[in-house]
Amino acid sequence: MRERGFTPSRILIYLVVSLFAAAYLAPLVVVVLNSLRTNEEIAQGSMIGWPQHLAWSNYAKAWSGFCVAETCAGIRPYMLNSALITIPATVISTLLGAVAGYAVSLWRFRGDNWIYGIVTLGLFLPQQMRLLPWTIVLRDIGLINTLTGLVLIHTIQGLSFTVLFCRNYYVAIPHELIRAARIDGAGFFRIFWCIILPLSAPILIVTVIWQFTHIWNEFLYGVTFTTGQQQPVTAALIALSAAIADIPQHGVQSAAVIIAALPTLLIYLFGGRYFVRGLTAGAVK
Amino acid sequence: MTGAAATVARPAISGLVRRLPEILMIWVPLLLSAAHLISFSIWTIWISFTPSTLVPVTGWVGLRNYTSVLSSRNWQIAFDNLLLFGSAFVLLSLITGLMLAILLDQRIRGENVLRSIFLYPLAVSFVVTGTVWSWLLNPGIGIEKLVHDLGWSSFHFDWLVNRDMAIWTIVIAAVWQSSGFAMALFLAGLRSVDGDIIKAAQIDGAGPVRTYWRVILPTLWPITVTVVVIQLQFAISAFDLVRALTNGGPGIATQLPALVVYDLMFQRGQLGRGAAAAVLMLLILLAVLLPYAAWRYVQRQRVTHA
Amino acid sequence: MPITTTRRRLLAGSAATLALPVFARAQSAVKPRLTAISQWSAGSDGAAITALGKKFEEKGGVWQHSPVPGFTTEMMNKLRAQIIAGDPPACSQLKGPEIAAWSKIAPTVDLDSIVAAAGYEKVVAPDLAKLHKPGGKWIALPLQIYSTNMLFLSKRGMDKAKADKIPVTWTDFNALADKMKSAGMAYPLANGGTRPDDGQKFEASLAGISPTAYRAAMMNLDKKALEGPEIKAAFAQTRKIADWCDPNVGAQPYATNLKRFVDGDMGMMIMGGWAQGVLKNAGFKFDDYTIAPGPSDNGKPVFLLNADAFIFWQRKEPDLQAGQALMAQLVMDPAIQTMYSQITGSIPVRTDVDLSGEGWSDGQRRTAAALKDAIASNQAVLSLAHNMAQENGLTAAIIDVITEYVKNKTITPDQAVTRLAEAVESAR
Repeated sequence: MRERGFTPSRILIYLVVSLFAAAYLAPLVVVVLNSLRTNEEIAQGSMIGWPQHLAWSNYAKAWSGFCVAETCAGIRPYMLNSALITIPATVISTLLGAVAGYAVSLWRFRGDNWIYGIVTLGLFLPQQMRLLPWTIVLRDIGLINTLTGLVLIHTIQGLSFTVLFCRNYYVAIPHELIRAARIDGAGFFRIFWCIILPLSAPILIVTVIWQFTHIWNEFLYGVTFTTGQQQPVTAALIALSAAIADIPQHGVQSAAVIIAALPTLLIYLFGGRYFVRGLTAGAVK
Repeated sequence: MTGAAATVARPAISGLVRRLPEILMIWVPLLLSAAHLISFSIWTIWISFTPSTLVPVTGWVGLRNYTSVLSSRNWQIAFDNLLLFGSAFVLLSLITGLMLAILLDQRIRGENVLRSIFLYPLAVSFVVTGTVWSWLLNPGIGIEKLVHDLGWSSFHFDWLVNRDMAIWTIVIAAVWQSSGFAMALFLAGLRSVDGDIIKAAQIDGAGPVRTYWRVILPTLWPITVTVVVIQLQFAISAFDLVRALTNGGPGIATQLPALVVYDLMFQRGQLGRGAAAAVLMLLILLAVLLPYAAWRYVQRQRVTHA
Repeated sequence: MPITTTRRRLLAGSAATLALPVFARAQSAVKPRLTAISQWSAGSDGAAITALGKKFEEKGGVWQHSPVPGFTTEMMNKLRAQIIAGDPPACSQLKGPEIAAWSKIAPTVDLDSIVAAAGYEKVVAPDLAKLHKPGGKWIALPLQIYSTNMLFLSKRGMDKAKADKIPVTWTDFNALADKMKSAGMAYPLANGGTRPDDGQKFEASLAGISPTAYRAAMMNLDKKALEGPEIKAAFAQTRKIADWCDPNVGAQPYATNLKRFVDGDMGMMIMGGWAQGVLKNAGFKFDDYTIAPGPSDNGKPVFLLNADAFIFWQRKEPDLQAGQALMAQLVMDPAIQTMYSQITGSIPVRTDVDLSGEGWSDGQRRTAAALKDAIASNQAVLSLAHNMAQENGLTAAIIDVITEYVKNKTITPDQAVTRLAEAVESAR
């Protein structure tokens, strides 16, 4: 096996990796440090600095204290809204994407390549272009200013990603497996449930991570299609930072950013290894 | 005659009914997705030919919206910036991602931790990334000030407020945000290289560098293409990040097409022109995607004819 | 097809504004309710609208304000989405020529009888009133007035430069800035680098040099005026102003410089009256600074008007109509205007409010006096940088030129003049 000692080349590798790691970590470290400094401290010094004492009050204020016009409930209600939007949309789009991906790659039907192509082209359609058309659609089906409407938008738009990921994963599954099962009399759903799904854990995790992150962090639709108390957490963050009628509150803002990013950060922390694994199998053709 | 035809027809229909759940489950989502994409694109193309301002209206103005957009400084600067930003960002994130993947592939200790460190930026929203980097890169309150406070007072890092260099700040923030994804893809590719090929190369006496260069990297070509395409998509539609980081500034030096579209459509209440700009964006995307699709098509032909 | 519905609505809009019955009858039976959209989610603006909401509730109404985080664009997005959905808010923030533009896409409420009953029109500046009655009828009510070209002078900064005269003309201003610089102030001017801020630098220069030229060029878009010598001089003055600002401010708002301003590291600021609200909210005292009208070369104050307003959208529900009536009354009420302006640092729309009492700053008194003088000498003009003089599209095109000029020192005033004329032509 390759020798593992402290050869110059390995030292070099560790050095380079550490430098990169430091560079990647730097912004997170800055935000965390700032979340523990008071607004005044930051205003007097620079954005990068060590807290003088740990201002945990920033977190308290960010969680339940800061005001968005009349409501002074902090970021807590918005976190709930984001969860109510993100979790259903992620689950549904992942499920539907898996089924469709399986259908397009293994079950096959007429026109499958065409529709697959169109759906994945949707990845490239800019979001600004879709704002007004979605307004018209939501209006016609009566879902403006509802969380359901937002879930619908994210689900349909998410299909472009989920179908892409799942299909690219499933093409690696040997067709003989499916053929044999069909000969044995198994139908579409049975094969999906008994054969495909058990094999899908890695790609499902990738898809869930990706979807959750994108929907949780989304701002444009979240603000336009909800109202007042339904808004997602990204809206609250913007409210905190866009207030130009105010001296910057960087301390509280940093704490709010950390709180809002916790779900996605944790997901990447625990799901990271599956992320690579999921992309390995079938290595995105 | 009719009897035979009837008996043939009946099983076909009941077969259809039996397969209805499966048909619905496959087709409804796919059709909804395809339908919304096609109809929204057509809608945008249509609007680009109307005199729409605050809200969509009917009417026909020919190519006036297009000429207006194409002749505006905003668009010209945005287009140039897209070329610069797009190529720099894709190249840098490719190189960074590949380098990190190779480094992580070396079976070093703490690989899990390191992988998390390089991946976590993907978890952060673009708005937050833009905001935090705007703090860091601001010469008055960020890195430059820190270095000054530490004593090195002639240090300059004012790219953020420098007209010529500001676009590179966007490159930095964008590479930070998404090179983790490139790394993950490359790592996946490296890990799935056939062990036998590597062993064969080692038996032939190739050192680690040569093994990588001659044997492993060439197998990564398809993944490289995928990474390029996905990163290009990110570059072309980069909106929240730029808005939070520079908002198109200083002045209008870091305008990008996605910002121009949003600005025209919603800030300036010129829907028709905004739609024209959006269609132009789509054309740019097509210019990237068509060669890719053609390449894929040729590839597939090669496989089926091999 | 969805679009034809909009077209129908376009026609309906113009017809309905003429036909809407006044909502006098609705008031007695129903509990007034108001759905409102604005961008005022934080800071002094947020505090002011919250206070207004409380007053609304005190009068027995149900206050349903939906602040849209972000800037005006996000607010307009939300408003547009609601209008397209057929569910406009009962009232929303809107201002300037946009009131006229938006009134064409959805039906509004005719407020003439309420305004007449309150005798409001007599106490509103005529230029301002015109903006809120685009079809000849009142459909929106101004909420507060700011001047965008007030001169803020830091007490400590003035002491540092050993200056005590408040500059009146641009020559005075330039001299004072030079004096501050030689007294050791690296950057005498505390302005920021946002688009409206850059716009303010230019409009203050132009209006101060010649209000007539400003009116002709910026408000009436007269071709000859746009190519006139005053524009070139204004660009030259803008260049001077930009050179006195901290280049590191980038695209940040002036608020990031406020501490330095109060401490005397920066001596002056050309900003709107809202800065008083911000300074107050940040804990600074009125004694820390003085306010004077912006520099004006002919010695008489020039007032660059910026006014926020509420526009009322037609709704069929009787409780919303009652809410609109109640809101309209409140907005015109001198006591409410006093409360609102004292929180944000603006001056009331009514010209008959007495500002000599407590709670008003000297700055606000000076601003109100400046407005009176300016109206009298016909030097009250509409602010370009804050979307009062032109619709958003044209304003943005003009500010593109200005902000590029401010950030790029190699552009000469001549080139800027040409670019400005071109921008106006292509955006028309």
